[in-house]
Amino acid sequence: MNDSGCIHLNNFKAAKGTNPYKIVHAFFVSCTSYEARRYKATSCLCFACGQTGPRMHSCLHCIYFACYGGHVLDHSKTKKHFLYVDLSYGNIFCAQCQDYIYDREFTDISRTLRLKEAKSLGISVPFTPWLPNNNEAMALRRLRKRRLISPHTTIGLRGLQNLGSTCFMNCIVQTLIHTPLLRDYFLGEKHKCKTQGSGKCLVCEVSKLFQEFYSGAKTPLTLHRLLHLIWTHARHLAGYEQQDAHEFFIATLDVLHRHCMNGVEDTEKKENGRCNCIIDQIFTGGLQSDVVCTSCSGVSTTIDPFWDISLDVAGPGSLQACLERFTRAEHLGSAAKIKCSNCRAYRESTKQLTLETLPIVASFHLKRFEHSSQIDRKISAFVSFPAELDMTPFMSTHRRAVDAADNNNAPEGIFEDNRYSLFAVVNHLGSLDAGHYTAYVRQMKGSWFKCDDHMITRASLREVLDSEGYLLFYHKTVLEYECEVS
Amino acid sequence: MTVNSTIAHQRLILSGDRERFKELLRRRLIECGWRDQVRMLCREVVKENEGNNVTFDLLLTRVTPQARALVPDSVKKELLLKLKTHLLTQKDQ
Repeated sequence: MNDSGCIHLNNFKAAKGTNPYKIVHAFFVSCTSYEARRYKATSCLCFACGQTGPRMHSCLHCIYFACYGGHVLDHSKTKKHFLYVDLSYGNIFCAQCQDYIYDREFTDISRTLRLKEAKSLGISVPFTPWLPNNNEAMALRRLRKRRLISPHTTIGLRGLQNLGSTCFMNCIVQTLIHTPLLRDYFLGEKHKCKTQGSGKCLVCEVSKLFQEFYSGAKTPLTLHRLLHLIWTHARHLAGYEQQDAHEFFIATLDVLHRHCMNGVEDTEKKENGRCNCIIDQIFTGGLQSDVVCTSCSGVSTTIDPFWDISLDVAGPGSLQACLERFTRAEHLGSAAKIKCSNCRAYRESTKQLTLETLPIVASFHLKRFEHSSQIDRKISAFVSFPAELDMTPFMSTHRRAVDAADNNNAPEGIFEDNRYSLFAVVNHLGSLDAGHYTAYVRQMKGSWFKCDDHMITRASLREVLDSEGYLLFYHKTVLEYECEVS
Repeated sequence: MTVNSTIAHQRLILSGDRERFKELLRRRLIECGWRDQVRMLCREVVKENEGNNVTFDLLLTRVTPQARALVPDSVKKELLLKLKTHLLTQKDQ
C-alpha cells in the first residue's frame, strides 16, 4: 500500500481537482458547521434502500449516496462512476481497484477538516501518533543504536546522594523526574534556552538531569549544582538545615517558571493572559472562590491560579473527604463581614472554593505540620488516598449543577474526563525536628519504586497506598489535545 | 429504523453529540489497549497473506469477529449508560 492514490483517482484529480472531495468531506464526513450537520442528519440516506447505513458512501462524481456493497456496485455499473467517499472515515473507495486507496493530498485535507470539526464542537482533537518527517527518518536510519524497554526495566531510576539533610530536595527531584509529561518535554529536548551555556538556568540543569537519569548508569547522582542554583534563586531555602519538601517544591516550580521565560519574546509569552511555559501548562489550575452575600444572594467570583492544594488534616479520613471539606460552602460569620458590592454595605456571607480548571498534574499537600504560637506539632493521622481519583465532584461546574435544587438538566460532563492517576507520594518520617523524607514514584504503569536518597527499592502499590502521605501527586489519566487550526 | 430511532439519530448528528460519543468511544478503546490488539490482528492477517494483495474487505471480514469480541464489557456498558442518560435528558428539549 502507498499513499499516492491509483490511476483512476489521479485521472479524476487531474480533471476535477480536490474540490469535490473537500465538499463531500466538509458536509458529510466531518461536519464543520451547524448547517453541514443539518444536511448530514437529514439527507445521508441510501438512494437505493433509504437506510442510514451501514457504511454509507458518497459518489465523488455525482450526488448519490449508497451503502457499501451492492448499492455502491449497482451505481458504479450503471453510471460508470468509480470513486466513492466513505462517510464515516473519509477514505476513498475505488470500484475499479476494488479497494480503498490512499492519497497524500486527500489525507491532508481530511486531517485539516477533522481538526476544524473538533474545534467547532469544542472537543479534544483526536490523538495522532508521531510520524517521523524526512529528516527524522534519516536520523533514525543513521543512528542504529536502539534501546529496548522490557517489562522489568529499571530505566529512569537513579539514587541521589544526601548532601547533608537534602532529602527534601531528593524526593522532589525524584517526583519531577517521574512526572510523565515533564519527562516527555525534556527527553524531547523542547527547552530552547536563550542563555545557553551560562550555567545559570535551572531549566537547563533539570534538562541535563533527565539525561543523567535516562543514561542507563546506575551510580547515585550528586545534585550540588542544582542545589546551588536553587539557593541562588530562592534565598530563603539557602543553608544546610532540613527544609520543608512542600516549600521546596513550590520554590522549585517558581524558579523553573521564571527561567522558562528567560529570553522568550514578549509576544509569545502569554496566551489569553496566561503563561504557557511548560511548568504552567502542567501544574497550573484555576481555583474559583464564590462569596455569596447572605442578604441579597449576590455572588462575587474570583479565579486564582494555583500550583497545589493544601488540605487540612483534621483526623483520620480520606483524600476525597479532605477535598469535599475544602470545596464546601463555609459561613464566614458575623466577625468577618465582607463589603457586598450589590448592597453597598458590609454583610455576612458564605464562601466556597471550587476548582475552575484542573491542572494536568494535581498536587495535594496534606497539612501535617501545625505551627502555632503555643506548639509546633506533626499530625500523623492516617489519610487514605486512592490510586485513581475522579476530580469531577470538586469542579465549579459540577458544584453549581448539584447545588441548584430545581435543576432539571443532568450535570454536564458526559464527555468530560477528570480522572487522575497517582504517580508519586512524598512521605515524612519521624518527628518535626528529626525527620527524613522519602518518595514513592511510579516508573511505569503498575511499577512503583521507593526512593530513599541513594537507595532505590521496588515497592508495591499497596505499600504506597498504606504510607502516611505528605505530598500526593496525581497525573491526568487521559490528555486532551488542543487544535492549532484557525 | 423506526421513526423514533431515526429522529434520535438525526438529533445526535445535529447537536454534534454523535461525534462526541464517537470520540469518547475512540478514547476508551485506545486506553484499554483494544486498538493495539486489533492492529496486531491486522498484522497477522497481512503476514498470512504475504505476497498477495490484502484488501480492506479481506481484513475486515477476517478481523471483525475477533475485534468485536475483544471490546471490553466495561466500555460497552459505559457507552450504553451514557447514551441512555443522554437521550432521556434530551427528550423534552
